[in-house]
Amino acid sequence: MFDLVIRDGLIVDGSGLPARRGDVAITDGKVVSVGGRAGEAKHNVDASGRAVAPGFIDPHTHYDAQLCFDPYAFPAIEHGVTTVVPGNCSLSPAPLPANQREAFSRMFRLIEEMPKDAFDAGVDWRWGEDFGQYLDVIAQDLAINVAPLVGHSVIRLSVMGDDARNRTATDNEIAAMCALLDKCLEAGAIGLSTSFVDIDDTYQPVPSRWAAPEELDALAAVLGAHSAVLQIVHEFYDADLTIARVNQLAELSVAHQITTTLSPLFHNAAAPNEVQRVLDAVEAARQRGAAVWPQMQTRPIDISFTLHQRSLMLLTMPAWWKVASIAEHADKVAAVIADKEKLAAEMDAIQQRRSGLGAGEFVVRQVVHERNANLVGRTIDDIAEERGCTHGEAVVDIVIDEDLGTWFIRESIGHDQSEAIGAMLADPNVHVGASDGGAHVGSFSTFGDTGYLFSEFVRTTGSMSLEQAVKKITLDPATIWGIEGRGLLAPGYAADVVVFDPDTIARGPEVASEDFPGEGIRWIRRQEGVDTVVVNGAVTWTAQDGYIDSARAGVIATR
Amino acid sequence: MPQRRYVHPEPGDDLAAIAARECPEVEDPNTLLSWNLHLAARPGGRGSVLPSDLVFVEPPLKAQ
Repeated sequence: MFDLVIRDGLIVDGSGLPARRGDVAITDGKVVSVGGRAGEAKHNVDASGRAVAPGFIDPHTHYDAQLCFDPYAFPAIEHGVTTVVPGNCSLSPAPLPANQREAFSRMFRLIEEMPKDAFDAGVDWRWGEDFGQYLDVIAQDLAINVAPLVGHSVIRLSVMGDDARNRTATDNEIAAMCALLDKCLEAGAIGLSTSFVDIDDTYQPVPSRWAAPEELDALAAVLGAHSAVLQIVHEFYDADLTIARVNQLAELSVAHQITTTLSPLFHNAAAPNEVQRVLDAVEAARQRGAAVWPQMQTRPIDISFTLHQRSLMLLTMPAWWKVASIAEHADKVAAVIADKEKLAAEMDAIQQRRSGLGAGEFVVRQVVHERNANLVGRTIDDIAEERGCTHGEAVVDIVIDEDLGTWFIRESIGHDQSEAIGAMLADPNVHVGASDGGAHVGSFSTFGDTGYLFSEFVRTTGSMSLEQAVKKITLDPATIWGIEGRGLLAPGYAADVVVFDPDTIARGPEVASEDFPGEGIRWIRRQEGVDTVVVNGAVTWTAQDGYIDSARAGVIATR
Repeated sequence: MPQRRYVHPEPGDDLAAIAARECPEVEDPNTLLSWNLHLAARPGGRGSVLPSDLVFVEPPLKAQ
């Protein structure tokens, strides 16, 4: 008797081959048969009229802190995601000496936009300083599979201490970093992440940016000995720089026989040929035998912001960033009132600096006072015209009147040309990823990119078939990242399975959620069209019952 | 495919040193900065470079 049989579904097995109808039988956490009619089982799932696919793999996430207090990485699982790769962009919670914890925490919270209360609730350093012990700790309470990267900035902090933030490494230090990376890979790291763009809380480059090419080359050699992956976040705002990074990765890939990936890659409607130039460079690298995988997200870029916290939207407006960074609310209110004219002028200036990105397109998303309910859904341009003031003045007046609690949103800032993006997502050289899952919690939802892949690029634009879309987020990432035994519905593979309606699967609307520890909200999206999610044979979420409290079948997928 | 020529900084380099070594025909050191606007707004000041930086030593190529 099988443990579980998912019966009479449309099996989309992850290979990209045509779907077929039949049963998927599971025992001891593994798939044991696919297709045909399976025998009796202890538990059954009726999948008639539904697609049955391998669990989705999200290769670019920052669930590092969330996994310490939330074994489900809520709400990732209900979207069908059963394996995540945290530790991207040079930042992982281990290995890290105790005296560098505060520096790392400030860096992570700033770069990944994680509220301090939530971060502190999870990251209590109970694993000590060791990467393997960190994995041991989170593995004790996991509902989702984790294939973690180890961060280059963290490796540097471990070996060089504070000097990691201001100089290149000596030969001895590089050797020590290589030894530490080797130990982390032995313990279960899937690869190394590094960053060429991020800044820390003091606006200085993160430690990985102080690494000379020789250091990265030495670390890549260690990756090669483990068949491990190198992930980078590159200068994504510039095509020439991106192409140069593609070349750098290609050289490392060929020299050390490693797989490399860079994220994110965006389509730019103002310069649509630029991304094609990058893809041409990727293809040229491929012709040289290099494995360079650009990650492209499916969703358009939307950014919300409030003065309650720092936000990506405010990063290039120093006066706004300064007030958003003030910890005490009363001090912040006083600063906004005192700098009212300066703030308004700075916000008005962004229209001149970035055509099409002016404050006039901001929409009032959520208000504090009922008397301002009529503002919700209206653009600042509309409100400013009604009030006879500038865009900046309108924003400042609203936030002062609202005790700084108003939420604004700027939708479709970019990466929203679906026909063009669909063609690129379907490109065999493009890796669907870059969700940033678990990060930027006050700026946008990082959940539902997989549902959006189906709703927008399978059903609306027809850029790819159902089978191709499933392959893009199952077998492709499993193969690229070397996640063995996952990403395919075939006998012997891990029983990570998602049952969904191919006609309705989508991302739900972006909504405010108060589920994180501490005050404040984050933006999330719930699933639409997903029926059942199975992780290593355990039914972990169903549309009928929600999250199954007892489901803790997640594992460190690299062990 | 044509790609812009770039270098990684050597130990002790700043933009002026890179300009002198890689493109001695360029007389105005600000020319190199104009080819590398990603280096223009560094906390360390104009012309400072990091060991991991890419520095273009020729202007943007003409559109293909």
